Amino acid sequence: MESKITFGKTEAVSILIIGITTQLFLNFPRVMSESAGAAGWLLIIYVTVLTLILFTIIQKLYSRFEGKDILDIGETVGGGIGRVLIGVIYLVYYIFAVSITLREFGEDLKIIALTRSPISFVLLFFTVGMAIGAYYGIEPLGRLAAIVVPIVIVGFIIVLSGTVEYYDISHILPLMGTGPYNIFVNGATRISVFSGLSMLFLMAPFIGAHRNFKKVGLYGILISSFFLTIGTLIYLLSIPYPYSNEGFLPVYQLSRKIDYGRFFQRIESIFVIIWTMTALVYLSTVLFFITHLFKKTFSLKFYRPLVAPMTVIVFTLSLVPQSLMKAIELDTQVFRIFAWIVTFGITLLLLLIGTVVKRKKEGGVKREK
Amino acid sequence: MPSIKKLLKDLLIFKEPEKIEKFILKETEAEKRCGNGGGNVGKDNTDGHEKEGTSEKVSCRSGQEGKKQKGSRENKDEDFDNIKKKLSDNIEYLKEIFTIPDNGDVVLREFEIVAKNRVIPACIIYFDGMTNGNIINTNILQPLMLLSNIEIKGNENDVISFVKNHLLTHNQIKLTKKFVDVIDGINFGGCGIFIDGVDVAFSCDVKGWEHRGVERPNTELVLRGPQEGFTELLRVNTALIRKILKDEDLIAESIQIGKKSKTPCSLMFIKDIANDSLVKEVRRRLKGIKIDYIFDTGELEQLLEDDPFMTAPQIVATERPDRVASMLSEGRVAVVMQGSPFVIVMPVTNSDLLHSPEDSYVRFPYANLLRSVRIVAVFMSLLLPGLYIAITNFHHEMIPTDLLLAIEASRERVPFPSVIEILIMEFAFELIREAGIRIPGPIGPTLGIIGALILGQAAVSANIVSPILIIIVAVTGIGSFAIPNFSLGFAFRIHRFAYILLAAMAGFLGITLGLFVQGILLTSAKSFGVPFMAPFGPNTNSGFVDQLLRSPIWKQEKRPDYLNVKEPEKQPKISRQWLDTGKNKK
Amino acid sequence: MKNRIKIVCFVFVVCFLSTTMTGCFDRRELDDLAYPIAIGLDKGDNNFLKLTLQLAVPTAIGTGEGGGGAGGSESISVTTVETPSIYSGLNMINTYLSKQINLSHAKVLVFSEDLAREGMNKYINAILRSREFRPNAFVLVARGKGAMAEKYIRSVKPELEANPAKYYELVLRAYRYTGFTADAQLVNFHHRMTSYDIQPVAVLAGVGTFESLGEIDAEESTFREKEREYPFEGDFKAGDMPKVGEVKSETMGLAVFKGARMVGEIDGEETIYYLMVSGEFGYTYMTLPDPINKDTFVILSVKQSRPPVKKVKMEGDKPVVSVKVKLEADILSIQSGINYESTDKVSVMEESAEEFIKSGIQRYLKRTAEELNSDMCGIGTNMKGKFLTWSDWEKFDWKSKYKDSTFDVSVDLKIRRPGLLVRSADTQIMEGEGK
Repeated sequence: MESKITFGKTEAVSILIIGITTQLFLNFPRVMSESAGAAGWLLIIYVTVLTLILFTIIQKLYSRFEGKDILDIGETVGGGIGRVLIGVIYLVYYIFAVSITLREFGEDLKIIALTRSPISFVLLFFTVGMAIGAYYGIEPLGRLAAIVVPIVIVGFIIVLSGTVEYYDISHILPLMGTGPYNIFVNGATRISVFSGLSMLFLMAPFIGAHRNFKKVGLYGILISSFFLTIGTLIYLLSIPYPYSNEGFLPVYQLSRKIDYGRFFQRIESIFVIIWTMTALVYLSTVLFFITHLFKKTFSLKFYRPLVAPMTVIVFTLSLVPQSLMKAIELDTQVFRIFAWIVTFGITLLLLLIGTVVKRKKEGGVKREK
Repeated sequence: MPSIKKLLKDLLIFKEPEKIEKFILKETEAEKRCGNGGGNVGKDNTDGHEKEGTSEKVSCRSGQEGKKQKGSRENKDEDFDNIKKKLSDNIEYLKEIFTIPDNGDVVLREFEIVAKNRVIPACIIYFDGMTNGNIINTNILQPLMLLSNIEIKGNENDVISFVKNHLLTHNQIKLTKKFVDVIDGINFGGCGIFIDGVDVAFSCDVKGWEHRGVERPNTELVLRGPQEGFTELLRVNTALIRKILKDEDLIAESIQIGKKSKTPCSLMFIKDIANDSLVKEVRRRLKGIKIDYIFDTGELEQLLEDDPFMTAPQIVATERPDRVASMLSEGRVAVVMQGSPFVIVMPVTNSDLLHSPEDSYVRFPYANLLRSVRIVAVFMSLLLPGLYIAITNFHHEMIPTDLLLAIEASRERVPFPSVIEILIMEFAFELIREAGIRIPGPIGPTLGIIGALILGQAAVSANIVSPILIIIVAVTGIGSFAIPNFSLGFAFRIHRFAYILLAAMAGFLGITLGLFVQGILLTSAKSFGVPFMAPFGPNTNSGFVDQLLRSPIWKQEKRPDYLNVKEPEKQPKISRQWLDTGKNKK
Repeated sequence: MKNRIKIVCFVFVVCFLSTTMTGCFDRRELDDLAYPIAIGLDKGDNNFLKLTLQLAVPTAIGTGEGGGGAGGSESISVTTVETPSIYSGLNMINTYLSKQINLSHAKVLVFSEDLAREGMNKYINAILRSREFRPNAFVLVARGKGAMAEKYIRSVKPELEANPAKYYELVLRAYRYTGFTADAQLVNFHHRMTSYDIQPVAVLAGVGTFESLGEIDAEESTFREKEREYPFEGDFKAGDMPKVGEVKSETMGLAVFKGARMVGEIDGEETIYYLMVSGEFGYTYMTLPDPINKDTFVILSVKQSRPPVKKVKMEGDKPVVSVKVKLEADILSIQSGINYESTDKVSVMEESAEEFIKSGIQRYLKRTAEELNSDMCGIGTNMKGKFLTWSDWEKFDWKSKYKDSTFDVSVDLKIRRPGLLVRSADTQIMEGEGK
């Protein structure tokens, strides 16, 4: 179980896609519209470009550390303490991410479908699914992700194309939205959108060769950015600014508008299936990474017994925010602005230091020879 | 007069009941020793027994009264392992082993062989009914009794080799020194020939019992394609496969399963296509089965499979030789067993469970239509009742208003909530299905279907269920029949109930949770090392030529990648070389 | 060990069963709910609001149980309460109605004119916040003084179908082939309420005023304002149509809003022009005076061939708007018998039609700018594209500038098909009367 987990590029790319695109289903287009007005989609493209640049730097530095994940690099840098430090930072980051997301999904579902059930009941469903997924490990999750991603894409495209009659180019004018300053400078912190990329750094030992790593990262970023852009673009086309700031769950709003004659109305509940499936895969993946991180940081032997306590912790934490508004605020204001520090900042820092350290070591070896 | 008196007496006077002891199944000695048999060993005195040592436990578990006899046989075997020179000793031993004359269908005939001017007593022993009497008469008794008089040119002084080489005109003869071999041969339709004065015996294969001929397969019917099905005879089945493949690399390795039944099985694979480690693994599992009697490949399948708790099957059982042949040519391994018309093939992935052999024989657009219908049937049979519950109980806005009002009108008088309704109807349907198998005669299936419809109609008129539900349950049931693989249909019947409950709890959220958990379980399952959801799961190279939809036959150049075969290419890129008009004629 | 597992399993199964079978929290059976089809909001006499609900009665509609499907009044039940707000009204209705009200099939929202003139934003917001509501419900304004919404809803008794929902859906989608109403969906209404560049509209609804044939007059028609001698088919608004019949409810014309407040009405013909300018026109039958023989009509089936081209530029502080409308037409009837189908005469027909439509559109647009002061057709959207950032657009304040606009309209109409008659015979000669 622990020894030989490998999976192919498709599974890794699918996991990355789900990691990054899940927020599209939550409140991502609305956040983009708030930051940049009618030019929200431009913001994404800009952020993608930034991320690609950063990723190129990272993967170049990563070529020395083939097959090692971020914890191993931390170990190279600072020994055991380095590893524990990095592990704890990532743990906190992931636990925060997953409990907020869990709460958001539960609350969202309560608003759109199960209005009278207590929140813990709804969260229970997600939690049970999460625990089972994490228990079985990353391999089945990767395969399931590879199966689920095409289905979700098809559903997503159906939702997007179903609202064709509401498109109106004038909705994305004026072109620059809230102004270039807002877009480019303030929006730069929005590269936290791609903070799901940190999963790639954890998956490195499963992927193996460096060129696979490069390809997986590249495809993951490009494909997710494509869907994020299209999602935001079509959201803005159908629902004009400033109304686009008001609605909650943007993709759900889109699916509510689908209206093909008398028969095909209000099929937004089909959207619930796609959306919940994505949520379950995302949550189980992150929970798995949490237990995996924990095991690796503290050099434990097995990760499966950790699933149960971690699930309880995450479930309890997700009930901490008082209301949905508080949870959303935590997500968009606090988390998304600082997430990029963990994903990109710390990684870059570590890689730089690690390269230097490794060069020293190798230099030392060469000199001995 | 006296009769009336007697009658009154019988009526009025108390009569003691007659003392007839009814039959009680007493415990055997062995069971009394072990404290009421193997089942309660764990419960009663776990500590005590474990302390008493393991030997007694072992003997308890297999403890039957027959052990005593077996012990005697084994004892005697130690003395009588080898065949004695004296014919009378052998005959005595045989009489004891086969319990002659109590055992009515054993025939022990003594006769005399005349060979080269010597008269040698001999005997033949066989089971009546299991052997072909003609062969025994003409090929064994006749030459030995009559034709041994003919002058035969040969120089053997040894009686045995003389008899074997010149007299016994039979095509399958084994010479053996041990009783065990002769007895096994006799148990399986052979005959044993004992000759006085030598310590070897012949065991000949003269099988000739009544068996079913080669008929149409019962379960997998196709319109286009061969119409032969397997029978219960091992050699007939292997012959049916071999005559399709005609490949000398097709190996049919013999393995015996079952300590007492010694059922012969054949492990079939194509030597230069199938992966060696796969064959080794199958062989290892087959040889590692310890069981007394085995009756059908159904039991064999359950003993071999990876995960007995998973509801989806990991080994496919088929009745058609052409299907086995095509699966062998892809690189899989088949096990044929004596006594079962179903041959099991492994490893198996999810798409194989949805294939019907007809898909290869009809043109590819039709095959794709059939496949799509089947996939829709799969989803319907699994999810339709659950979706109905979810939509009508949680997501009312999805229904078009007209339909909503119609459903509501028809549900107005029904006293049960929808969940209970559906469970009642599903249960009734399953009941009808199960009963329909056992209704005798030709009316059986028809009665089942008509009964279901009439029952449904009556239930609707009595306002117990609403009409929409009848349609849903009927469509679901029919959909589960459309699944080619019988076990998978069963699996989905079970899952359907789980989905109904999940839908009743939380609507679409419950259904999605169910799909997610099922997806995880399926993708983590492996069948003989091959991930169950290949090629969707791990995205393999030769992806999708034949899995979901079928490409035309001239495009299927590679064998499935996940089987890791030795020869991946089965057709060159251009398999229709007649298309090449003239320029590069070969 | 085994015992423990058994106990745990038992507890688990019991919990599981109890959560599923006791019809947990959100599970509501289909027949425990009531579905209002139409919701009416009036100004209340004793309270803020009068809430009217039109409920569908399923058993009368459903599968032939009650014998005879198209029963008018049995399949609907209407109830009205006086209440401070919508949800409090629902609460009150829930107390005496046996089934719980579920708003997910409400197709129509009717506001009374008084309420509309006050401003509808408080109610629209509340409705949109609820997930149960359909975003594509239609918004109607019931004309007249008093509790017209309730009157209108009570007057809806479907003749041709059993299901009132079907009636609403069909009638309100009729704009595609009559052009006398528009697609005023709730979600569009809301967007336009808060928008700077386009103003919302609502469909006018009313109750027929005439009880018998003798009472019919054209007093309320707008034909006199248009300097015509007799009313054309579009010169009416809802409630004024000269008709009698079983179906009393009428929809025709639009209510024009500025923000969330109603500022005026336009009649059927102007609605056609509105649809033409905003590009949502389907097709309709238009009656035009014959260009040569002024006493007779030519009737064309007019269809939009391309979306209209609108251009706006600012001359100083006044917007100059140019609108190009492209139409196609098929000839339906030529009463005078003049052979307009021939290629030399068809241009006469086309020019006359273009002139007629152009003057109509000009008059209509002038009215929206000067009288109503509301940019219904969305000319502001063209203006929006000229700005780079949102704050610039906001500062520009198109709403206040609209009333000074001047319009330059050009119509391009092409007659494509003449129906089955390719050539009108000269009927006057046939009848033997020479002229």
